Amino acid sequence: MLGQVTVEALTKTYLTRQRQGLFKSTEKAVPALRGVSLEIRPGELFGLLGPNGAGKTTLIKCLTTLLLPTGGRAWINGHELTQADNAIRATTGCMLMGERGLYWKLTARENLVFFGALYHLDPAARRRRADELIEQLGLGEIADRAVESYSSGQRMKLAFAKALINDAPLLILDEPTNTLDVPSARELRAVVRDLNQQGKTVIYTTHIMAEAETLCDRVAIVDHGEVLALGTVPELKASLRREAVVKVEGVISTKATHAVEQLPGVSNVATTLNGHTTLTVVSQETHAALLPRLIETLTAHQAVIQKIAPEEPTLEDVFIARTGRTLADDTRVK
Amino acid sequence: MTTTLPGRPTLSQNLSAALAEAQLRFTNISRYPGQLLTNIVIPIVFAAMPILLGRATGGASAEANFAANTGSGNFVGYLLIGSCVFQFVSSTFFLVANWLRFEQETGTLEAVYLTPTSSATLLGGVVLYSTVRSLLPALIAYVVGCLVFGLNPLDGNLALALVFIAAGLIPLAGMSMLFGAVVLRVKEANALLNLMQWVVSFLMGIFFPVAVMPPLLQFVAWLFPPTWMTNGVRSALLGVGYFFGAWYLDLAVLWVFMFLAPLLGWWVFRRTEQGIQRNEGVGQF
Ligand SMILES: Nc1ncnc2c1ncn2[C@@H]1O[C@H](COP(=O)(O)OP(=O)(O)OP(=O)(O)O)[C@@H](O)[C@H]1O
Ligand SMILES: [Mg+2]
Repeated sequence: MLGQVTVEALTKTYLTRQRQGLFKSTEKAVPALRGVSLEIRPGELFGLLGPNGAGKTTLIKCLTTLLLPTGGRAWINGHELTQADNAIRATTGCMLMGERGLYWKLTARENLVFFGALYHLDPAARRRRADELIEQLGLGEIADRAVESYSSGQRMKLAFAKALINDAPLLILDEPTNTLDVPSARELRAVVRDLNQQGKTVIYTTHIMAEAETLCDRVAIVDHGEVLALGTVPELKASLRREAVVKVEGVISTKATHAVEQLPGVSNVATTLNGHTTLTVVSQETHAALLPRLIETLTAHQAVIQKIAPEEPTLEDVFIARTGRTLADDTRVK
Repeated sequence: MTTTLPGRPTLSQNLSAALAEAQLRFTNISRYPGQLLTNIVIPIVFAAMPILLGRATGGASAEANFAANTGSGNFVGYLLIGSCVFQFVSSTFFLVANWLRFEQETGTLEAVYLTPTSSATLLGGVVLYSTVRSLLPALIAYVVGCLVFGLNPLDGNLALALVFIAAGLIPLAGMSMLFGAVVLRVKEANALLNLMQWVVSFLMGIFFPVAVMPPLLQFVAWLFPPTWMTNGVRSALLGVGYFFGAWYLDLAVLWVFMFLAPLLGWWVFRRTEQGIQRNEGVGQF
């Protein structure tokens, strides 16, 4: 059976003008998707995890018919992309640009009723659905105030409500917890989980590893427009099972870092700097074999170790093992 | 059991969506109440300048001079009509562009493109809104202007004047789509709008008869539907004379535009829309 969403070798290349002075400009091709293939099953909560510029939003815009892919094919809710775009739009709920995409001079209720009309709900159904969503997301107190008077988090909630207006079987959310504080983000994830349990298929985009890890059934790790790894969270971690990951914090020189990279078995060393240095060392050897050698090498290079601990692999480690970068790195094509 | 293909809306669903779009625009504008008042005052002030100039420079023979060139000695009515029709023409001409620019900047353009409502339906709603929104202030401005300058607003054939306005509206909406397509592509409106505002007012003969233009410009002006509309309204109200001698011949010309302009406008708009979908999408602004 076809999945809820099936994507086959989808590519998307943007053409942009590169300014070279006042009157001269040349065309530049920016490949944002380089052959993405996925299958998302009905009822699945599917995560798209990737750093800034990975191509997540581009993929979503292609799947929601906003962009025409450059190549490849896709089926959404049983309709082929570019063949039945209206049917795809009617059967998909999408939260795309966060707080943008709302009419700020209108109230939450007016916004929801308006979008209900564009999804062809009849007038009574629009109002009923708007009431339901206002209730469900706790927007009651602000529902009849202009959106411009909302806090950023309240606007995000309304944008989320807007994605639910047509009660579609497929929900596509592009970084829906951006700008939300921790409790609000947790609350929103709980609603997403509920909706998923009621049978909705969800595509959830994020660059936050923990979010994908706690929420999603399966995760596709995307980078530079390609799917690097795809599976359930335990599967993805298991793919690192034979690799040891050790995190070291302290004052560590570049020389020391280079020395660690030369250690036998070490396949990757990622560095983050925030006051002091944090090394994430991935090795093919066991923790027991790696730890003593690591400490020895670092101290031999005058590093000050403040904290050192073997780590249970996280999705971030999967990403690091595949790319040599952390999720926080910006990978946008320049 | 009946099954409807999702996303294939019925006619009444389309109408309902178009009405919702029109209603949204009205609700939105009602939150900027100053604008309506401005739209009523501006055409009167705009007409007052040449009217006062005419009174100052024309002297005793002003009306006779004017009648020799235009066919009517009532230069006050002539200028006031020009100014009010221009107000209507310019807001209709720029309506698609303004709508798109507004929605691009707020990010709502992408949001409405996510829904199964087609841009044709949305445009229908926007045209409906804009017609009421620009016709009403233009009419009020005309009546108030007449009273201010001591004319009887009920003089002349009002019904025929309205027919010319209605017939002119449709080609205008088509041209509006052409201009909208430009904005959709270049993502800029203000500079273009300023320039076009002058071109439109000049071509349609806001304060002077087309007959006094150089021949080449006259030819361009005749290809411009609002020229026929302005002259039709002036002829109906003041009797300045139709281009082809009879009202129904001039109206027939507008009818031709009525079919050609929307077809051309829609074709160009769709092509632009598809070109953008093929590249960066409507979300860029
Ligand atoms: N309109 C555009 N024109 C040219 N390049 C673009 C355009 N939109 C996106 N890109 C490029 O395509 C790549 C993918 O961008 P995209 O927005 O899909 O990434 P993302 O994974 O959603 O990132 P983020 O986490 O920052 O939202 C980036 O390199 C970006 O610079
Ligand atoms: Mg994005």
